[in-house]
Amino acid sequence: MSATWWGCCCFVCFLSSFVVGKEDFHEELYIKPFPSGDVLTYFQFTTLWSVDIRDKNAFSHYNLFPKSFGQIITKYSVEELHLSLTQGFWNTHLWGYAMQPASPGAELAVWFQDEVSQSIDKEWRSLTNVLSGQFCASLNFIKAENTASPNVSFRRRGVTSSKYNDSRTLRYSSLPREIVCTENLTPWKKLLPCDSKSGLSSLLNSLLIYKVKYHSMSINLRTICEDSECQVPLLELQQTLSIVTDPVLRSGGYDWSLRKLFGHSLRSSCPLATTSKVLVDITGNDTDFSFSLKPKPTRIILKAEEEPSRQFAVYNLKGKGKIPKLLSSDSGFNLVFKWKRRHNHVKVPYFFAHRFLTGYGEEHAGIQCEMYNHHKTASIKIVYFQVFPWHFRIFLHTLRIRINDVIIKPEYIDYVPSRDRERPTKLELALAVPPDSIVTVNLEFDRVFLKWTEHPPDAHHGFYLPSGVITAKLISSENTTFPTSHESLFSPSIKGTKTADNVIRMYTEVLLVPLPTPDFSMPYNVICLTCTVVAIAFGSLYNLSTKRLQEVDPREPTGILGKLKQKLLKLKEKLFPPRKSEDKQKDSKKND
Amino acid sequence: MAPDKGRRKFILVVFCFLFLFCEVYGASPDLTNVFSSKHTNNWAVIVCTSRFWFNYRHVANSLAIYRSVKRLGIPDSHIILMLADDMACNARNPRPGTVFSNANQQTNVYGDDVEVDYRGYEVTVENFIRVITGRLPASVPRSKRLLSDDRSNILVYMTGHGGDGFLKFQDSEEISSIELADAFEQMWQKQRYHEIFFMVDTCQAQSMHQEFYSPNILAVGSSKVGEDSLSHHSDPEIGVYVVDRYTYYVLQFLERVEPNSRVTIDELFQYTTPRLVHSTPSTRTDLFPRETQEILVTDFFGSVRNIELSNSTKLLIHESKHKVEHQNKPIPRPLRSLDNFPSEPEAVSEHFTFKFSSSFFCLLSLVLGAMGIHFYNLSVTL
Repeated sequence: MSATWWGCCCFVCFLSSFVVGKEDFHEELYIKPFPSGDVLTYFQFTTLWSVDIRDKNAFSHYNLFPKSFGQIITKYSVEELHLSLTQGFWNTHLWGYAMQPASPGAELAVWFQDEVSQSIDKEWRSLTNVLSGQFCASLNFIKAENTASPNVSFRRRGVTSSKYNDSRTLRYSSLPREIVCTENLTPWKKLLPCDSKSGLSSLLNSLLIYKVKYHSMSINLRTICEDSECQVPLLELQQTLSIVTDPVLRSGGYDWSLRKLFGHSLRSSCPLATTSKVLVDITGNDTDFSFSLKPKPTRIILKAEEEPSRQFAVYNLKGKGKIPKLLSSDSGFNLVFKWKRRHNHVKVPYFFAHRFLTGYGEEHAGIQCEMYNHHKTASIKIVYFQVFPWHFRIFLHTLRIRINDVIIKPEYIDYVPSRDRERPTKLELALAVPPDSIVTVNLEFDRVFLKWTEHPPDAHHGFYLPSGVITAKLISSENTTFPTSHESLFSPSIKGTKTADNVIRMYTEVLLVPLPTPDFSMPYNVICLTCTVVAIAFGSLYNLSTKRLQEVDPREPTGILGKLKQKLLKLKEKLFPPRKSEDKQKDSKKND
Repeated sequence: MAPDKGRRKFILVVFCFLFLFCEVYGASPDLTNVFSSKHTNNWAVIVCTSRFWFNYRHVANSLAIYRSVKRLGIPDSHIILMLADDMACNARNPRPGTVFSNANQQTNVYGDDVEVDYRGYEVTVENFIRVITGRLPASVPRSKRLLSDDRSNILVYMTGHGGDGFLKFQDSEEISSIELADAFEQMWQKQRYHEIFFMVDTCQAQSMHQEFYSPNILAVGSSKVGEDSLSHHSDPEIGVYVVDRYTYYVLQFLERVEPNSRVTIDELFQYTTPRLVHSTPSTRTDLFPRETQEILVTDFFGSVRNIELSNSTKLLIHESKHKVEHQNKPIPRPLRSLDNFPSEPEAVSEHFTFKFSSSFFCLLSLVLGAMGIHFYNLSVTL
């Protein structure tokens, strides 16, 4: 009897282990001191759940994966999602290529599952609305008029089962004007298993993380494979936060520590996390000893297969060792970085881009995007992607692509013209930038005169042109903040699905374009003018037709002047009565 | 003897139980007067209608009220916060991530935990009226909805620039007092509130609540018609006024209020004297059935959950509606990864044809295999 009972129990346990997939949570902090003195702190929180995103029944039991987010992705049949909220502009010249490149403002790219391929636009509309509530951002302003589906620029980062290889299940939009502040970080933090109560997320003090040069938070969802044959899918939710701090502004010197950057030292690791690590890029320090790190790292990893090789100091916050002991001590774990010799030598990446406005006046304008390849031998393949909101009316015939002032034809061009108030202009170009040359892309547009009610409350501020997206295949991982990889974690505990391919993404500057604004007080002026005209014209006519003409005494003064003169005389008599009477009064006073 | 003793014990216990049952069920206590207020849930709608940096004080007003109601127990899910501009991370703010409603900078009213539901351009008259009347599109998430019912007490706080009979939104449109009164009437007809406390801090604030005609609304404005509402003080570090006078003294009053305190709305009205506020706060109590001396401040600013005691037993039957349907699931398509960078953009179609051809071969081999098995079976039977 008892044996069967135990058997049943075991069976139930066995079943439940199948029903509820394995969940893991990893927290990592990667710190890179730049030669310019700025410091990148990159938080990466990864939740891995062995569940198939297509299996909706599996999304009813949650352990570490955030339930509110899980419900959203199943409701709208999301396959892959990338959302970023960024403030500031990533300075490629000083900091190299970004780890988690993002356009200033809000950016959202979503791949939907095949089952909703007929109703994607509806799902997209609802999803943006729901995400706006989830992240307190105005993502509900993403509408058909600023949504595009880039064909080649955006590729899935995870694995897919879609039968479509093209971009029909992809929707992309960016809102360059979106402001990012604590109100967005609060819901983002609440998705983490430890919130900001313990672990690396306890460093996120909103008073200090917004006093920085650049900050970008993102949430990325994709499916990866647990095994090399891709039989078992693994859902990966990655929440990242990149912050670039200038230690000079913060504390007056180039040296930094966790306490200086975040206000306090680290006192715990998230108890729910499987790995909890801090990594510091110490490339080159073993040869020139330019800085010192305290305390001593748990181990040092050398990535020699990359070109150039890199070195990382790893602090393991879990397990047994000196660092976990430090965490529980009174002072906590405070990473101190001190420069010994700071060589202010910034190595500018050999490939970078720059975009600006051309033209003058209130009618026409243009943009010019310049892409520089300073490499002496290698040509670089790029894809340039740009969405123009419909209120910038683009002329395709003005598109000029020059390589060192010679007009060329791109290898691939995808152009979808805008439709007023319905969809934006989409431009996608693929070309190769030859070695040691500059590619310029020129395009002209008309500034549209919007309807009176279409202007925002601060129309004079101007309208934002979203960043252009450049996807490039570089020849080495030089100047990347971290070697490009497709793995979930920094320290590869999970087998990657792809090898490093040196594909980077860059965002050009967001441009602020003033559109012609009407005189908003015009209706009031019109009302005032009309009233005056009516009063004068109609009033006098009315007077003429209703008043009776009467005979006037000719001795009476006529005209306004005469009347006025008479009135003044009367007033004078009142104020200054004739002398005689005055004397009489005086006499009477005397008599009294 | 021994079993007899046990039986006696048993009977005694049974009698005890019966007695207790009679006590509980027999004497039905009159529970109608246990709670003075009949609400079961609290909501707050806090609106700042002003854009631009120089209107910093309006955002600070709203956030300070938001902090107070949150401190007194209304959760974020029951607060609709509308801020027409971002002050905390404004480029002009030398202290990013902070909003102070006092120049001494003691409490950052923006804080570390804040959820703004409607922000920037979303704060429009249309959205405000849609939120309070509940006429929102289906896709709007719960956090952006006022999900109140006929047992909800709602605090509506508005601040901005106004005039006789209107309140400006974003310096581009305005809500008139008649529109607002009609919206509240719509709420009443849809049973969206039990009681409303309407507080408005703007110039000529009295005009905003003069037109109300729906029952159970208690209203207070910072000034009379024809009067201006003034700001309290400026912060020389940021160069703008940080709080309005009326809100400043309301906040000062709310500082003393605790979730369990018995402070009444009447005391609040008495506290904000014209001498302090420099304008005459105008109240409207004729629509409200209770006396202001009986209304607790926490009826609106707090979230005091009243428990309803019922004399009748109610059976709560749970029927699992969500039956897991064990369908014959189609075999999911295999997973594969795609190139991260298109080697040749035109190559997409080639890839597709390759896929097509491979699937074709798969099918062909399957068919051939099936045929082979069939023939083999046939031969065996023969």
